[in-house]
Amino acid sequence: MPTMVEPISWAEQVEKGDDRSLPPSSEDFDEENAIKTITEYKYNDDGKVVKVVKIYKVEKRKAAKSIARRKNWRKFGAAERDPPGPNPANTIVQVEEINMQIILNKEQKQQEQEEDPLLKLKNQKMVSCRICKGDHWTTKCPYKDTLAPLQEQLQQDEKKAAETAPGPQQQQPAPQKSAGKYVPPSLREGANKGRGEVMQSKRDESATIRVTNLSEDTRESDLQELFRPFGPIQRIYLAKDKNTGQSKGFAFINFHRREDAARAIAGVSGFGYDHLILNVEWAKPSGTS
Amino acid sequence: MKPIMLHGHERSITQIKYNLEGDLIFTCAKDSQPNVWYSINGERLGSYRGHNGAVWCIDVSWDTTQVLTGSADNTCRLWDCETGKELAVLETLTAVRSCGFSYSGRTLMYSTDKTMGHPCEIHIYDVRDSTQVSNQSPAMVIPSESSKITAAIWGPYEEYIITGHENGEICHFDVKTCEKLISVKEHNKPINDIQASKDMSMVISASKDFTAKLFETATLRHMKTYKTDRPVNSAAISPVMDHVVLGGGQEAMDVTTTSTRIGKFDAKFFHLVFEEEFGRVKGHFGPINSVAFHPDGKSYSSGGEDGYVRVHTFDPEYFDFRFEY
Repeated sequence: MPTMVEPISWAEQVEKGDDRSLPPSSEDFDEENAIKTITEYKYNDDGKVVKVVKIYKVEKRKAAKSIARRKNWRKFGAAERDPPGPNPANTIVQVEEINMQIILNKEQKQQEQEEDPLLKLKNQKMVSCRICKGDHWTTKCPYKDTLAPLQEQLQQDEKKAAETAPGPQQQQPAPQKSAGKYVPPSLREGANKGRGEVMQSKRDESATIRVTNLSEDTRESDLQELFRPFGPIQRIYLAKDKNTGQSKGFAFINFHRREDAARAIAGVSGFGYDHLILNVEWAKPSGTS
Repeated sequence: MKPIMLHGHERSITQIKYNLEGDLIFTCAKDSQPNVWYSINGERLGSYRGHNGAVWCIDVSWDTTQVLTGSADNTCRLWDCETGKELAVLETLTAVRSCGFSYSGRTLMYSTDKTMGHPCEIHIYDVRDSTQVSNQSPAMVIPSESSKITAAIWGPYEEYIITGHENGEICHFDVKTCEKLISVKEHNKPINDIQASKDMSMVISASKDFTAKLFETATLRHMKTYKTDRPVNSAAISPVMDHVVLGGGQEAMDVTTTSTRIGKFDAKFFHLVFEEEFGRVKGHFGPINSVAFHPDGKSYSSGGEDGYVRVHTFDPEYFDFRFEY
């Protein structure tokens, strides 16, 4: 039964030189709920008295005879002096709950994530059909045959548009090598590196710049906005923390043309963005340290 | 689930095993004291004192009376399970890598390392014949010429021993004729662990080549492959569900160079048949070296390089979970 701990004032204790032994530990068993409470007093690392209350739920389980017999075995070896019940020094029940993370169609999800940058590029109309203005190559247009008579007309429109609006507008599908069709300079022979289907694998690294000292809140769209005026952007890579999704403070911008990249460096380096001053320089080719 | 952490070892865990009824967990580590614990509450029952080196393997007889441990101090020791008393010391020339009681508990085997010019051998003792143990004269010595044995268990009916080798081979060695009966090479890196299913019809091998593979015990026909992105140190088959659990992680020597987040120290649960991962359990701070299912399938334990053994009791959701196909 619980023993009454005789009250002592701390002042008294200090006067006595603290040679009082600790209050005795007590054990209480609530039979109704089968809950055992052990109260102990001990000194902590700072030399202060700490009250430790341990609450156990006592369970009765039916077990096979052999198991029950083993339950009564005496402890031996390193556990020889351990009191009955788990020794808190080497048996720790983890307080926080750990759940099994259920994974469903993991591969599918990963693929989606990988394809994300491509989708973004599509939205930028990197590829637009000359027949229907859809997001596909002209040769793959589903309306190729039905809209064929209109093709001539559309081509002319296209030409006008290309002439009047330079810059991002020039990003049209790779032209077929037939006479009479307009070929933008950026797409002519020798200048069309890093376009088309090989874009992702064989990136031209010469027009890549590295932006550092970005703020944590920076998004890819912010960078796009910032660098768009300098010329067509092939790809933006913003380094993000895997878990939090926050920016790690640097990004790579691939331009189509090296001149654009050079202008971007000249224009944005030292530019104050958010509360930080951006640092822009040529990216070192990957693979070199 | 709230795992119970057993912290009775000072160094990394090398193997954990349940006894037949599953009320006791036997653990050994690279320190010299194997421990035994009650699985229900994690209370330590005792430790077996006597080894002078890392203990690589541990096994318990079916009736939980004797414990066998193999150590890098060139001994294999037999203990009384209840009192922790050393019953016999079997001296070897090299470190003992794997050991096991046969199903009946009448014979025991252990395999030795191929070091210091000594060959890798399997020694078999008949426990009933006390002269064998006292004279250190094994009933049978099976040499493994090709590659070092890194994992070994008894096959059904005590007819053969299933061994996993350093070069990725898995073999059957006949106990009576010492012959190599079958040999398959499905892995191309060392095999870290071999465990049998409850009825011993299947065995699962865990290899450093990032995969675990399921074989039919009798023929060693390769049936399933569980692919991961890390070396697999241990694999176990659930006795009640069509699940396997894989423990692993990047190699211990590389661990300090990376964070736990990318160390991949979680236990992975795969569906036995569909070979697809459906769950992960986190917790260890280092690679998992050994996993074992409770014989009732309601809990499992893992022991890691961090020196902890974690006993996990599954939530009811685990049993409700149905794999979609």
